[in-house]
Amino acid sequence: MSLNDNDVILQVKDLKKHFTPHQSLIQSLAGSGQKRPIKAVDGITFDLRRGEIFGLIGESGSGKTTTGKMIMKLIEPTSGTMVFNGEDVTHTDKLRTQVYRRQVQMIFQDPYASMNPRFKIRDVLQEPLIIHKIEGDNQKHDEMIIKSLTEVKLNPPAEFMGRYPHMLSGGQRQRVATARTLILNPMLLVADEPVSMIDLSTRAEILAMMKDVQRDLGLTYLYITHDLSTARYFTDRIAVMYLGRIVEMGPANELIDNPIHPYTKALIEAVPEPMTGKVDVIKELPISGEIPSPANIPPGCRFHTRCPYAKPECSEQSEPELMDAGNGHFHACRRWKEI
Amino acid sequence: MSAKKSNSRFQEFWDDFRREKSGLIGLGILAVAILVVIFEPLFLPYKDVNEGNWRNISYWEDNSSAAPPAWTNIFTSKKSAVSTTFNSPEVSTEEDPNYGLVTTYSFKYNYKYDLPPLDLIIRAKASGMSLFLMELERPDGNIVPVGEQFFEGLNEDQIRFSMDTDAASNAYEFARQFASEEALANSDSTTIRPTFVAFSETGSDMLSARVPLKGTYTLRIRVPSFITDDSNNVLEDLRLIVTGRVSGILGTDTYKRDIFTGIVAGLKWALFIGLATSVVSVLFGVMYGIISAYFGGFVDTSMQFVYQIFAGIPVMPLLIVLAAIFKPSIWIIMGVMIVFSWTGSVMTVRSMAFQIKEETFVEAAKALGSGKWRIIFKHIAPILLPYSFASMALAVPGTIVYEASLSLLGLGDPTIITWGQILHDAQNSGATLNGLWWWIVPPGLFIALMGATFAFLGFAMDKILNPKLRTR
Amino acid sequence: MDKILEVKNLKLYYHTNKGAVKALDDVTFDLYKGETLGLVGESGCGKTTTGVALLRMPSPPGRIEEGSQIILDGRDIMPLTERQIRKDVRWEEVAMVFQGAMNCLTPVYTIGKQMMETLQEHREMEKKQAEELIKEYLSLVGLPPEVMGRYPHELSGGMKQRIVIATALFLKPKVVILDEPTTALDVIVQAQIINLLKKLKKTFDLSFIFITHDLSLEAEVSDRICVMYAGKIAELGTNQQIYGKQGPMHPYTEKLLQATPLLRKKVESLSFIPGAPPDLIDPPTGCRFHPRCHKVMDRCKVEEPPLIEVEPGHMVACWRCVK
Ligand SMILES: Nc1ncnc2c1ncn2[C@@H]1O[C@H](COP(=O)(O)OP(=O)(O)OP(=O)(O)O)[C@@H](O)[C@H]1O
Ligand SMILES: Nc1ncnc2c1ncn2[C@@H]1O[C@H](COP(=O)(O)OP(=O)(O)OP(=O)(O)O)[C@@H](O)[C@H]1O
Ligand SMILES: [Mg+2]
Ligand SMILES: [Mg+2]
Repeated sequence: MSLNDNDVILQVKDLKKHFTPHQSLIQSLAGSGQKRPIKAVDGITFDLRRGEIFGLIGESGSGKTTTGKMIMKLIEPTSGTMVFNGEDVTHTDKLRTQVYRRQVQMIFQDPYASMNPRFKIRDVLQEPLIIHKIEGDNQKHDEMIIKSLTEVKLNPPAEFMGRYPHMLSGGQRQRVATARTLILNPMLLVADEPVSMIDLSTRAEILAMMKDVQRDLGLTYLYITHDLSTARYFTDRIAVMYLGRIVEMGPANELIDNPIHPYTKALIEAVPEPMTGKVDVIKELPISGEIPSPANIPPGCRFHTRCPYAKPECSEQSEPELMDAGNGHFHACRRWKEI
Repeated sequence: MSAKKSNSRFQEFWDDFRREKSGLIGLGILAVAILVVIFEPLFLPYKDVNEGNWRNISYWEDNSSAAPPAWTNIFTSKKSAVSTTFNSPEVSTEEDPNYGLVTTYSFKYNYKYDLPPLDLIIRAKASGMSLFLMELERPDGNIVPVGEQFFEGLNEDQIRFSMDTDAASNAYEFARQFASEEALANSDSTTIRPTFVAFSETGSDMLSARVPLKGTYTLRIRVPSFITDDSNNVLEDLRLIVTGRVSGILGTDTYKRDIFTGIVAGLKWALFIGLATSVVSVLFGVMYGIISAYFGGFVDTSMQFVYQIFAGIPVMPLLIVLAAIFKPSIWIIMGVMIVFSWTGSVMTVRSMAFQIKEETFVEAAKALGSGKWRIIFKHIAPILLPYSFASMALAVPGTIVYEASLSLLGLGDPTIITWGQILHDAQNSGATLNGLWWWIVPPGLFIALMGATFAFLGFAMDKILNPKLRTR
Repeated sequence: MDKILEVKNLKLYYHTNKGAVKALDDVTFDLYKGETLGLVGESGCGKTTTGVALLRMPSPPGRIEEGSQIILDGRDIMPLTERQIRKDVRWEEVAMVFQGAMNCLTPVYTIGKQMMETLQEHREMEKKQAEELIKEYLSLVGLPPEVMGRYPHELSGGMKQRIVIATALFLKPKVVILDEPTTALDVIVQAQIINLLKKLKKTFDLSFIFITHDLSLEAEVSDRICVMYAGKIAELGTNQQIYGKQGPMHPYTEKLLQATPLLRKKVESLSFIPGAPPDLIDPPTGCRFHPRCHKVMDRCKVEEPPLIEVEPGHMVACWRCVK
């Protein structure tokens, strides 16, 4: 499948982030315990298409947040490139970073923590305008604030502007957080588990709101989550991460209905469903143990230590690259035909 | 509803604070102290003391030296005359055989004590010339001729007539009318005290027995009309000062200074030194801690190194050395206290800032494009500052005591009045040895009280504000 | 089946200075031996409060009100003194895994030391013996004995949760309350923990009260489900009654289920419940859910619906179910 460059808003190529564990002076002098780097993200490649919702899915510790932060330029990649709108933005100077930050915004997981408790909602929303020196007096700013509060369906907007975050419910806060990112008219939104801390009854509402906003404004979302159920409902395409790498990627429905990689299968298997008759069944999990430490990644296919289908070759051969299975469905399992 | 809730943060603090008894006591005392500072002129018996008169000996010359507080009379069997000032004489015009028409200014003094005043002083502001013809009419009808005094060449000058020094011979003459030969032989005009004579029952033994004659005394000052009528001569602000043996609310020191005046005038300095120093040093410490934590890494390491140095230097010895080298000035003293006491809050603030720095809203601000300084000043500092109010209050007692200790060592700023200096003077003059407790106890007590006030406030604020941060 | 726990008219109010928060208002349910009862509901509906009430340990300013009855294994524990509760009931008979407990392990002590302390608080025991017991329980929850020497930060979330569960089981309680034990964990670890709980239940013949806000998860673990809303029980039924073909009967449960995203079915839009749960200091009159209910009737606004049995074992508090 060939994509016109114009359709791709962000191209991520072989992006890596290796953290060097903190070492005291004495430790490094003594040369003892030369710690291994933590390979939080270990070479991931994907394209974000203009106007799509792309889901990044994986267990805790698989490197989803780290990827999001690199895209937000909150942390520097160790290697690899990011091309945004045809421009290499992997390493940028201060000025260019500032411009980039107007175009790429982030919604955080915890609606309670992502706003300064001392700021009124109005101040929360005005902050990006001040930071980016958006022209206009307070009144002009207020108009913009009201516009974005209306976009996230907080009604009546003026009533909320004078409140403090603690006077809002979790759902309302996440709306404000979304409004804050929208006020600068970004092109790309990175949403790191935006609903995982939101009450179950409101979760669907927030996702619906985010979807509406995305459609109305033609935004692109990178949706980070470990919750496959919301991903299926919310996203167009999904990439499954394991231990810092993408192991499977494809259209959301296709990937969940016909998973190829054993890890994806396990993830899907583990998701509980509101159906009766499962209480007395002990679920057969096609995967055991826990995710290995990213400081100590298994050789060969990094999933082989937990894979029920692993053969010696899986650990002996080199790391499998993403392979095309057709229909835009990619995976990284050599033995996919056999299993 | 939103208007009511918008100040909820303060409201919440106040709700908690109201329950802290010690905090309320502290707040009450502080409020009183601030009121006293604002309305200082109302409380100051000697209003000009702030114009450098505390160390001006002649400013205090009308007072008695080392007089206990007036209220000590309650506890003594023989009541001492209390220092009093009379400001508004009755004015009348009468005929004088020698000078013709005279203007008479009379002061009525109700003497009801057992021990007579030490002096009666007449003071006025005058220009040109003046002639005072003075006499004291006693309750028994006898008249003590106080004297005649001519002043000239005055130009808005203070004129002063002291009965004790200027009327000795007249008083002796008065006593001669009654006293026995024997008694008179044993004394002369230099050994008697004019006021003792004037306030005693007449009799042959009046020079030795000194039975007090209680009742209303009238001091008359006559000024001939030819002087008052001349517009070149001005006489105003005529006063009679009775220099008692006990004086004012807190007595006087050996330099005749009114201690209450010193305490009141010293209050503003105590507050100023204490608050200014601790506010500036805590603010600095807070910013230092935040910056150190926020930048982390090498910046943090080097800032911690500098911190260690400053934290390790003892302030007191350093202050002593510096004050001894330079001319002691309150600004230098405060400067040095700030330079070496900001370290107090650094470590706590730094650890709190490390936490806040990791909060999502800081990351969110970064993701929005906030610069470092915006994050520091807009996001981190406003959260930590309220918590440093407690440290500020707790730092006040220390600074007050530091200044007092310096003053006690004689290294205080001589241009201001502080309680420490009052203590220093007391110590130098052997107040303890001479039993002048009223010179030592009040300044000491007030230093302690101010310290306690801020400690109360600080502990209450600490209790309310700090656990909240810890459990955030 | 035998009842291990009967809760009758349980009321727990938090007496704050703004008024009494009626966090539990006339809650009545039973727990049978060897079953798992699920407590579901939105945040703030009183799930945790129910848990701590059963331990008779409301957090201040909470108080269990007059008339509440908690009958544990035939004995009413409400009249017991605090000392008796501590000696006989709390942790001994009823244990609780608190919400977020795995993040409350002290970072400065090893796991072994912390478990040892909990154990020795309740049982006089030789150190050696205690160590053996700890190892036994660690292996029960699927952890190697080496874990004893590790510090909390060296363990993953799943491992910490297993340790907390092992600690709750030490004293062989009859009832274990699990408050959101998997909320912070991802799906695979969650599935592992759920499997573990099911095994433990069989091994020890335990009764669980499983608190979560995830209706899908509840379907996999609980024999019976108790749906709470604003301090009251809205619906209580068997797994089959709630998740079966016929579906739940209370509009609240119905809406909650519709708002749950499904993995194996692509839906274009999810429905959701508008509005937010009410203020429990001054709850709405009549049915507490009526301001948000899509099937509201006039009667709902004024009269409170009783919790009635609409079919055997299925209780619903909704006027629509009253014939
Ligand atoms: N600043 C850091 N220093 C060292 N290691 C880090 C740092 N940030 C993340 N890691 C490690 O990198 C790995 C990936 O972390 P990341 O937060 O990206 O995971 P995640 O997929 O977002 O997980 P979760 O679902 O728990 O949020 C983890 O093992 C984590 O411990
Ligand atoms: N200590 C307390 N003081 C005052 N009110 C309290 C206290 N603890 C809980 N509440 C209130 O009681 C109600 C029930 O709280 P509870 O913690 O039981 O809810 P929950 O169902 O466990 O919610 P969550 O899913 O958020 O854990 C809430 O309205 C809550 O605000
Ligand atoms: Mg994450
Ligand atoms: Mg709870």
